[in-house]
Amino acid sequence: MDHSPQAWGRPRDDIYGSYNPSYLPHNKGGYQAHANGQPNTHTQSPIVTGTSVIAIKFKSGVVIAADNLASYGSLARFTDVKRLKPFNKKAVVGFGGDVSDMQYLDRLLSSLDVQENYSNGASGDLDDETENRAMMSAKNLHTYLSKVMYKRRTDFNPLWNALLVAGLDEDSKPFLAFADLLGTTYSSPTLATGFGAHLAQPIMRRAVPDEEASQKLEREKAVELVKQCMKVLFYRDARSMNVYSMAVIDENGVDLKQDIKLEAESWAFAEGIKGYGTQTV
Amino acid sequence: MAALSSYSMSASTPTFSFQQPPQTSSAAGGQTQHSFYPYTDNGGSTLGISGDSFTILAGDTRSTSGYNINTRHEPKLFRIGGSGPTHKNARIVLSVVGFAADGRALQERLDTIVKLYRYQHGKDISVHACAQRLSHILYGKRFFPYYVTAILGGIDEEGKGALYSYDPVNLKNQYEPEAAQGLGKPQLVAKPLDRKTTEELVRDAFTSAVERHIEVGDGLQMMVITKDGIEEIISPLKQD
Amino acid sequence: MFIARSEYDRGINTFSPEGRLFQVEYSLEAIKLGSTAIGVTTSAGTILGVEKRITSSLLETSSVEKVVEIDRHIGCAMSGLQADARSMIEHARVTSQSHAFHYGEAIKVESCTQAICDLALRFGESASGEEEESIMSRPFGVALLIAGYDENGPSLYHAEPSGTFYRYDAKAIGSGSEGAQAELQASYHKSLTLPEAEEMVLKTLKQVMEEKLDANNVQLASVTKDKGFRVYGEEEMKGCVGRIEGE
Repeated sequence: MDHSPQAWGRPRDDIYGSYNPSYLPHNKGGYQAHANGQPNTHTQSPIVTGTSVIAIKFKSGVVIAADNLASYGSLARFTDVKRLKPFNKKAVVGFGGDVSDMQYLDRLLSSLDVQENYSNGASGDLDDETENRAMMSAKNLHTYLSKVMYKRRTDFNPLWNALLVAGLDEDSKPFLAFADLLGTTYSSPTLATGFGAHLAQPIMRRAVPDEEASQKLEREKAVELVKQCMKVLFYRDARSMNVYSMAVIDENGVDLKQDIKLEAESWAFAEGIKGYGTQTV
Repeated sequence: MAALSSYSMSASTPTFSFQQPPQTSSAAGGQTQHSFYPYTDNGGSTLGISGDSFTILAGDTRSTSGYNINTRHEPKLFRIGGSGPTHKNARIVLSVVGFAADGRALQERLDTIVKLYRYQHGKDISVHACAQRLSHILYGKRFFPYYVTAILGGIDEEGKGALYSYDPVNLKNQYEPEAAQGLGKPQLVAKPLDRKTTEELVRDAFTSAVERHIEVGDGLQMMVITKDGIEEIISPLKQD
Repeated sequence: MFIARSEYDRGINTFSPEGRLFQVEYSLEAIKLGSTAIGVTTSAGTILGVEKRITSSLLETSSVEKVVEIDRHIGCAMSGLQADARSMIEHARVTSQSHAFHYGEAIKVESCTQAICDLALRFGESASGEEEESIMSRPFGVALLIAGYDENGPSLYHAEPSGTFYRYDAKAIGSGSEGAQAELQASYHKSLTLPEAEEMVLKTLKQVMEEKLDANNVQLASVTKDKGFRVYGEEEMKGCVGRIEGE
């Protein structure tokens, strides 16, 4: 019998067989991840996903929307997932892609917000000029998020999301920008992720072709446009649903509605679609 | 006279640059293994021409993913150095085309190095030194490259236009304003163009590039570097 | 002079109540024991001159190396603990080669001097695992005269163990520095030629040296635009020494 101190308190090999260390951490001799000869892996594909996020800049702010569905492949798994996350009174982030990565980023942003307010001692009052300037703007937030995304892609451990950051910049002007799992960033008067880039973006661009047009756009018109796009997306995107969240960010802060039902839903147009399947017309 | 244009990722056969390596491959045992490909191509074109006392860099402002236009206004030209976030008094311009996120990371890195250089050595970096440094930055990531083709332009110590081009991992070429390549006729003397002609040439080049390549369009961003500073000109291109 | 200055002598990074770092001050004293070194700048270049202390007639004088090259365009003379100078010069050489590699240009003399001085304060006790562990247990015991030629023309810098450096037209360090500096002060003027500077260095050394100056116990070097850093050969030394002996 082994009387060495290392063996004290351990199951005896002659009775129980030698201990299988594969489940131990790596530094203790574990090799679970390599058990079948496979290397350690990071996320290689998303699991539970959200579909499009769309947003439009108007004269004094930004409208952003995303539906409340989280899909598991083609299964509509969760129907009450809120994919718009208000950061502060100046910024909202809309998430597409992997939902667990969204939740990670949301936690990251919560702690960032706590740190920001703690160091500034801010009350978050938009009317107070110095408070307003000290508050992290949507532009700051977008820069931060894009660095997080780029770092993770560079580590080959991406956060599988496409996000829109909507809100106001440091001069309280409307701000809207995109960032994704590769760290790609861009900004435009209208933006859409996922299917929205194919289906909603053309509709939004027709109404708001450039920066100049967005500076003339009224809030009501922008909201109307987003509603119209959400309807088109529900009609044509199979991974979407008819309940969605919409936020409007302007100098008065964030106005977020989380359970908007699609209005005047009608599938009558489907009758007119011909040319598929066994139709013989 | 020297000019160069770099289309996004050059390939020996004419293919669309957004064709990516397969995202999935079937591994043994009937399993499907997904893989994460850390690059994408955001398309577009850039070019640089150096003259006797100026250098012009130009690029279109369209950003694409596949057949989608991400935005019609995403600059590919960046001022390097100078002071503060506005790059006041900068005399060097970097253009990047390829994977835009890598392009931005590269630009930010070079900019910080150039700014630190001024603090450490008490003088503005020369284009030549900056070009050499950029070459090392790129080569330093030899095994995980910045997927961009870059052009660096400025004014050299004698006040002449200077131009350098790069592939994703190295310095490729330095272009002399007088240098001529492939001219079969000895009676043709290569001489630098004047600024007005060069600007028109750039505009013409992009107008025709727009007709021939779907990734090019929307806007033309031109930066003219002279001893007096950098002049930025943005003009429209076709949006189709 | 060297009465024990209480326990503040011990901790090498501890200020005394009067705000002094004794070990750094002592390191400055160490230089005053070193052989004399002189640098003089002219519009055409900089001359460095050092006294080689020949402690034995059996000593091979050419093995006493007190002026060395850092880069083609930078050279340096030292006074104090020779061995300490080796690591400073090694650092300066690496820095200037690395600059040339990264930027394709010669490093400025001031930047090179700054790089040397950055090393100077890396002494003391620091906890292991600290981000920047100190590399030395005590300050350097050597001062350097760094001469060079860059885009701003010729220049001469004096780097001390305290990490400070200043630019000089003419500077003397080492045991004879006080007398030599006074002499330089009196005879220096901006329109010196290179040969005049050679003579000024030799004459000044001659005055402060204990031994009789000859071509073997002094060493001259110059930094000029065309030839860069250059240590004078035997024949050249004889010529220079001959010139001042004629007078």
